[in-house]
Amino acid sequence: MRVLKNILSQLHSFILWALASILLWAWVFGLATDTSYGKKVMIFCHVPAIQDVELTMDLEEDLPEGIKMVQVHPFDYVMFDTVSITRADILIIPAIDVPEMGDEIVPLEGETGIQVYDPDTGEGVLLDYITYGDEAYYLYLGAGSAHLKDGIAAEIARKLLDM
Amino acid sequence: MPRNIVELYTEEDIALLERRVKRHRAALIVLAAAALIACIVLAALANARNAGKLELAAVLVSTVAGWICIYDGIFTVSAGKKEIGHANMLRSEPRERIDGPVTVTDERLRIRGSITVRRVEVASETGVKKALVHENRAKRLAELPASAVYMAHGYAAAVEVAE
Repeated sequence: MRVLKNILSQLHSFILWALASILLWAWVFGLATDTSYGKKVMIFCHVPAIQDVELTMDLEEDLPEGIKMVQVHPFDYVMFDTVSITRADILIIPAIDVPEMGDEIVPLEGETGIQVYDPDTGEGVLLDYITYGDEAYYLYLGAGSAHLKDGIAAEIARKLLDM
Repeated sequence: MPRNIVELYTEEDIALLERRVKRHRAALIVLAAAALIACIVLAALANARNAGKLELAAVLVSTVAGWICIYDGIFTVSAGKKEIGHANMLRSEPRERIDGPVTVTDERLRIRGSITVRRVEVASETGVKKALVHENRAKRLAELPASAVYMAHGYAAAVEVAE
């Protein structure tokens, strides 16, 4: 009873510490699992569902020289980090997003992006990892990518198409 | 009838309190250091596959360790230091003797930023005199067949009992 009374008298301290602990370790783990743009490849997918951890681990099995990690993010992630999407290396987006993205995307080859999912046939790439919506999806490279010139963004994009 | 003065805080009591505070403070430092090291190790082991689970583990470890440190720090270490200060004050300050049977009431007061006390009543010839006693000494005082109380700064410091 006395312990409970003591705890209740300091409840604010316990709650504040729990919140501080969550924020502190989210920040530390964010740092521990991140690196500079030049040493990572970021893939953003605007799809209903994605197995981002599995896709990341499979891509990291064979990384190009100088790349330490791959980060796969659903578009919801943009809500927390608006900078990252402007530095994305690869984007998988629905057709409706293409005009909206404008200068922020560049095609891997040719004039338009590569279609990665056809809603009419249900065929597409990365079907083991991505659940697509009822529209066509395209793969583009990010115009702000740190890996356009060194060809790494294109290399990983081709790897995605072959998976 | 021979009389005997019983101190509510003896030198041994104070030494015991000091040892207890030191022991708890050392234990808290060890716990905090161990929790911090554990969380840093968890962060160092993090990768894309396990980051979520390890972050959760780090949050749990640091939150629970922090809660223990807050609880014990406030209710054992800090309270112990205040009690030691209080006991030293009782032993060093001038005292006033009040004759009469002593009753420890159930009225509990928490002095803001300081100790928790119980109200004491001394039925003297000139009327009921009020005093205070540290909560941790209330039971001891109540059990003594006191015929007079020695007060320092309004606190019961010692009592006179029959041999």
